[in-house]
Amino acid sequence: MFPTDSLGFDPEKIYDIIVLGGGPTAIGCAIYAARFAMDVLIVGKTFGGLIATTHIIENYPGITSVSGPGFMEMFREHMQSLNISYISDEIGSIEQKEDYFVLQSFFQQFKARTICIATGSERRKLGIPGEEEFTGRGVSYCATCDGPFFKDKVVCVIGGSDSATKEALFLTQNAKKVYIIYRGEEIRAEPINKKRVYDNEKIEIIYKTNITGIKGDNSVRAVIFDNGKEFEVDGVFIEIGSNPNSDLAKRIGVNTNEKGEIIINRKSETNIPGIFAAGDVADAPFKQAITGVAEGVIAAYSAFDYLKEMEIEY
Amino acid sequence: MSSDEHYKEIIRREMAKLKTPVKLKVFTSQRIEADGSKIRACMDCSQFMTLLRIYEENSNGMLTIEEMSIDDNPEFVKQYDISRVPTILFIDNNGREVIRYLAAPQGAEIQPFIQSIFTFAGAPNYYEATIKQNLNRIEPSTIKIMMTETCPYCPQVITIANMFALASEGKIRTVIIDINHNQDIGQYYDAAGVPYTIINDQKTITGMVGPNEILRSLIGGNIRVSY
Repeated sequence: MFPTDSLGFDPEKIYDIIVLGGGPTAIGCAIYAARFAMDVLIVGKTFGGLIATTHIIENYPGITSVSGPGFMEMFREHMQSLNISYISDEIGSIEQKEDYFVLQSFFQQFKARTICIATGSERRKLGIPGEEEFTGRGVSYCATCDGPFFKDKVVCVIGGSDSATKEALFLTQNAKKVYIIYRGEEIRAEPINKKRVYDNEKIEIIYKTNITGIKGDNSVRAVIFDNGKEFEVDGVFIEIGSNPNSDLAKRIGVNTNEKGEIIINRKSETNIPGIFAAGDVADAPFKQAITGVAEGVIAAYSAFDYLKEMEIEY
Repeated sequence: MSSDEHYKEIIRREMAKLKTPVKLKVFTSQRIEADGSKIRACMDCSQFMTLLRIYEENSNGMLTIEEMSIDDNPEFVKQYDISRVPTILFIDNNGREVIRYLAAPQGAEIQPFIQSIFTFAGAPNYYEATIKQNLNRIEPSTIKIMMTETCPYCPQVITIANMFALASEGKIRTVIIDINHNQDIGQYYDAAGVPYTIINDQKTITGMVGPNEILRSLIGGNIRVSY
């Protein structure tokens, strides 16, 4: 963030709400909290979250088409107009005091009456031989970041989701050939993106196939199919979903489901009074920027209500 | 508003808030024409200087960009080991190089560059206390960060590394490298992903990396803190 943003941070203050995260959910929550005249601070590891790596967003109402970084730039501008501070840091522990929480990182201690956990999710890994070894040398989890390294090369995208098809479409801007390798029988993209993939001559889909290994020397040279066949590629983009960043929540006793997602109710409340959650880290079945923002906004309102009920001056 | 105009507006708005004088050195290459006039000889230098002048002109006189030709300043070239142009240097009051940019601060890279200027000028540094507490465990270090203009996470990694360097009393130095404009460096380090962080030419980290991991890499162990 810009210098003046972090200058607004006050280590002595007990914030009305500290929002953990850096994506649209976290910022949506903070914007509403600021408009409720609450003292709000955002602490996040990654400004922008996963959506910042999306090359094109076309389903956020009111915005016809925007890049992921462009989308987050709009959120940042909105945040700055309300003088909301953002700190790039990772909270390691949360301790509950009588009527506030103490949040601890290696760099600072924070205090807050309420917390909204909007820490999102991180890309799931395949967990196969070669994946870790070649990360940064042909294996990537971000086409927007690394696509330009594969000009006129052959790459593959692992996965069949809407995100996977969008990664494949983006990669065609540089690569000469893009294979989508999917274990299922039909890609699960939105119809508009499915059509784009089918219409794109550079893209070919290989169905009913799993990857069991990645081979190479200095960089990736091939992937190995589950039938044992070696398939030559220069790059492997892995897009097989994501896991919720809920470790901190679990450590402090916030209830999660079998997927590790934080269980929330329609008020974005968790089982711990004063701690709310929203977005990809929470247990909604359909995860989108718009649904995350909505949950974040509800969390801000519920936190506002909580402070009123606790008769805490805000 | 076009994207360029949007970014210029951000530079104007933020640089107007600078209240303390700060000076950066920029190395370019110049040649003398037949009529005795000097022109910039390196391909990117004119465009680069035009961009930096936007920062300077909107700082109410607080930012000075000192352009130095490598041809006229061999002693500085030697002292700071300038091997390519353009190069921006943040040099502290003790003459120590703290930050080196082999990248144009444009687009998303405006934010870490402006934040570095402000912190260099004395604005509070969020990481300073912890860096100073661990300073005796940090060997003199260089953090190189390979970036591209389209990389969404590069500005954050660059901001953290630059803030560490500015808090380190000369122990940490950062080098910010745009690998589209310095492809030989990218190839030398086998970079095929960004941000690509290289610590002391030994440890490499691809992708988003937070302040904890960078600090742990610098001290080779657990971080010590007291509040």
